[in-house]
Amino acid sequence: MAEDLKAEIKRMLVENLMLQVTADEIGDDRPLFGPESLGLDSVDALQIVVALDKNFGLKIPDAAVAKGVLQSVVTMAAAVAAHRLGSPS
Amino acid sequence: MNKRVILITGGNGGLGQAIARFFLGKSTDDVVCLGVRERRDHVDALASEFPGRVVVVTLDVTSPDAWTAAVTEINRLHGRLDVLVNNAGSHEDSLLAIMPPSSWDRVLGTNLDSVFHGCQAVLPTMISQRHGRIVNISSLSALYSPAGQANYAAAKAGVIGLTQSLAKEVARIGITVNAICPGYIDTEAVAGMKPEEKSAAAMRVPMRRFGKPAEVAAAVHFLACSDAAYITGSALKIDGGLL
Repeated sequence: MAEDLKAEIKRMLVENLMLQVTADEIGDDRPLFGPESLGLDSVDALQIVVALDKNFGLKIPDAAVAKGVLQSVVTMAAAVAAHRLGSPS
Repeated sequence: MNKRVILITGGNGGLGQAIARFFLGKSTDDVVCLGVRERRDHVDALASEFPGRVVVVTLDVTSPDAWTAAVTEINRLHGRLDVLVNNAGSHEDSLLAIMPPSSWDRVLGTNLDSVFHGCQAVLPTMISQRHGRIVNISSLSALYSPAGQANYAAAKAGVIGLTQSLAKEVARIGITVNAICPGYIDTEAVAGMKPEEKSAAAMRVPMRRFGKPAEVAAAVHFLACSDAAYITGSALKIDGGLL
């Protein structure tokens, strides 16, 4: 998976969510929510959904899809990459 | 950037017109989009008076699809949407015991469902901008519900609940959500009152007069300005001291 895409997503997270960490400090597989995570909440999730659409044209149609895509930087990058290839995310 | 794009529903009514005029008069940069379902005589006149600064948008506020289309069109024209004023509404007063269910549904639809659909339609744009102002026109009836207005009072109280909940959801994103609760205001809503009813009502108001639409518009304008950035989730009554 392209490293630059993951880096771009990390920058998007830091900028949109005003995180107190740098993009480099976010691990690719680190969970966004729950224990040992970045500590995000549902309002952050809403902002990520809007940002993914704005920055990558990736539309998250419902909560079930969101739950799968918004696991980590890796899952978001996979969804964006799949979207770019025109396949279902 | 000083330009702001403001969407006001119920744009053809007395209060909608007053709010639009207030924004247009206060800043020459503001562009006002007026949502109307059918009647357009007043909005067309305003568009002629302020060429290039008034956009008339066809909008049935009870239809999510109509909201999506309207917001898409505003974004296409102006690339942003800074302020939403949910002003459209209607009332069909009746004692609850004989109130037709259709009347309940219509009043809840135009006064409460409309606010839900409107907020949902503009939020992606405002979240993306990380800035937005939503002002919902509730009513004094939400705080002190008179007999004969169960549908209207319930809808307007619902608007305050929605306002307070949404305000908490989007506070950190730079979006404020507030409600205004007008009492007796000199608009078409009270035009149907008989003169003696109007006098009696005015006597119950400590200021002994009805409010002017511009006095409500001034509060809407303030809640939409940058100086009001720390005010969110509030329900401001404008009633001459009635309640």
